[in-house]
Amino acid sequence: MWDNRCKIAVSGVGFSKVTRSADIPLAAHALEAVRGAVADSGLEMDDIDGLATYPELPATGHAEVDGISVVSVNCMMAMLKLPSLTWHIQVGSSNIGGAFQQAANALLAGVCKYAVVWRAMHNPRGTYQNLPGNMAAGSGQFTGPYGFGGPGQGHAVAYARWLETNGQTRDKMATLVLNQRKNTQHNPHAYFHGTELTREDYFASRMVAYPFCLFDCDIPVQGAVALVLTLADRARDLKPTPAYLAGYGQRLHFETAGRIGSLSNYMEGGSSSAKLTWERSGFTPGDVDVAQIYDGFSASVIYGLESYGFCKEGEALDFIQDGRIALDGELPLNTFGGSLGTGRIHGLWHIIEGALQASGRAGSRQVKDANVSFVGASAPIVTGTTFIFVRDPY
Amino acid sequence: MSDWSKVTRPIPVPDEYTKPFWDAAKRHSLEMQRCQTCGHFQHPPYATCTQCIGVDLKFEPVRGQGKIYAYTVMYHTGDKRFASAVPYASIIVELDDAPGAFMAGNLLGSEYTEAKVGRRVEVIFEKLNDDIVLPQFKLAGE
Repeated sequence: MWDNRCKIAVSGVGFSKVTRSADIPLAAHALEAVRGAVADSGLEMDDIDGLATYPELPATGHAEVDGISVVSVNCMMAMLKLPSLTWHIQVGSSNIGGAFQQAANALLAGVCKYAVVWRAMHNPRGTYQNLPGNMAAGSGQFTGPYGFGGPGQGHAVAYARWLETNGQTRDKMATLVLNQRKNTQHNPHAYFHGTELTREDYFASRMVAYPFCLFDCDIPVQGAVALVLTLADRARDLKPTPAYLAGYGQRLHFETAGRIGSLSNYMEGGSSSAKLTWERSGFTPGDVDVAQIYDGFSASVIYGLESYGFCKEGEALDFIQDGRIALDGELPLNTFGGSLGTGRIHGLWHIIEGALQASGRAGSRQVKDANVSFVGASAPIVTGTTFIFVRDPY
Repeated sequence: MSDWSKVTRPIPVPDEYTKPFWDAAKRHSLEMQRCQTCGHFQHPPYATCTQCIGVDLKFEPVRGQGKIYAYTVMYHTGDKRFASAVPYASIIVELDDAPGAFMAGNLLGSEYTEAKVGRRVEVIFEKLNDDIVLPQFKLAGE
């Protein structure tokens, strides 16, 4: 087990307004979320001495303008002019979960006391995947000419392979999507709060890239979320009940650049990260009371459930049936609605919900007696990270 | 059947690693990068052997028969260059001669509904312009 388990805790959390389009600069969303997290902790902005983010813009073919389409650490430093600042980072080899992990490491190293981690996501006007030009260079020369454009198709091919090699059909995915939309109605910050989705809606929706229909894809939005991370001893003196970090892991398996992702690539990526998390925390999948698993595309949840060890390979769509993943089920899943409910803010919202469930602060969606709270903060195919938060330090 | 007649495919831009692949395709031949140390075939071309980290890599001919490893049927018309062809099948092919090396393609000459995991396909060549010929796939034996 990890010597530093339960020495770090998530304290306050914050959310900006989530809108479909970019009505105000992204920096304003990021500020709203960061201020919210600091206030939720009962801290003053001047107390914040650490900053961490992953400022990537997943939409392709759009300019990266700091404060408009991304909010970098530099941007946040320039806006806040923090008098106590002693540490900052933005990460590359793993995404927002990696930024969170680096902040935890910095706190353990004693180089900052109260770190803020945020993720701000921009939805550009016009076509999201604005694929440029009439030439295909680099790794795109082997995919672009065939109409492989955005990441949706990359995920879709793996999902089609998973379905056909396991003799499954996409019908069973409706259970996941509908359960998450139901959970979304308990999350006032989510884009789809107040918008119901029926089984009929799911099956009537237009196909995007088979096997994905519209409701298998998270909707691009503009918004930001943030949290305050600090040492457990300090967190106990702050306003919210702390959510203790019991362990974390990061993806250790990568395929070479440009290779089209195989299904085994998803599985090995996810299991390598989860293995570290189980070993460091001392827990097993059977100990988990509530789980958040990244769902930018619905099928990511399949690879998560299987590669993290919640069920066997090929069985995830059966595993999620019969109420098992409902709020009162055996393994409540994506209790905040997931990205399919909140809109595309990537994995920090999953981390925040994992922390809220562990600290008993999830309101009407709180899972009863939740102690062990698992988070898979991004699709195993990309730069995946996993976490366990607990209510009871040990 | 998907109508490809109005599609403007992005033209591949060969680079120092990939030029032999495109030169071979122009001759209607399929060549893949092979590690001269361990014999591993790989695609797309890479700086080192992804199996043994060898650096002695040469392009060698492979036969154009293989299986559909995975596929998607595209319906979304966000990419205007391909909008006139939807729905169309984009496939990932694993060649018999190069296990583990994946090639992308479209399933041509058949309904998009014929794309299924495991189905046998063979390479055909689609001329894009005087310089670039694109490897494509059709169902085997048709």
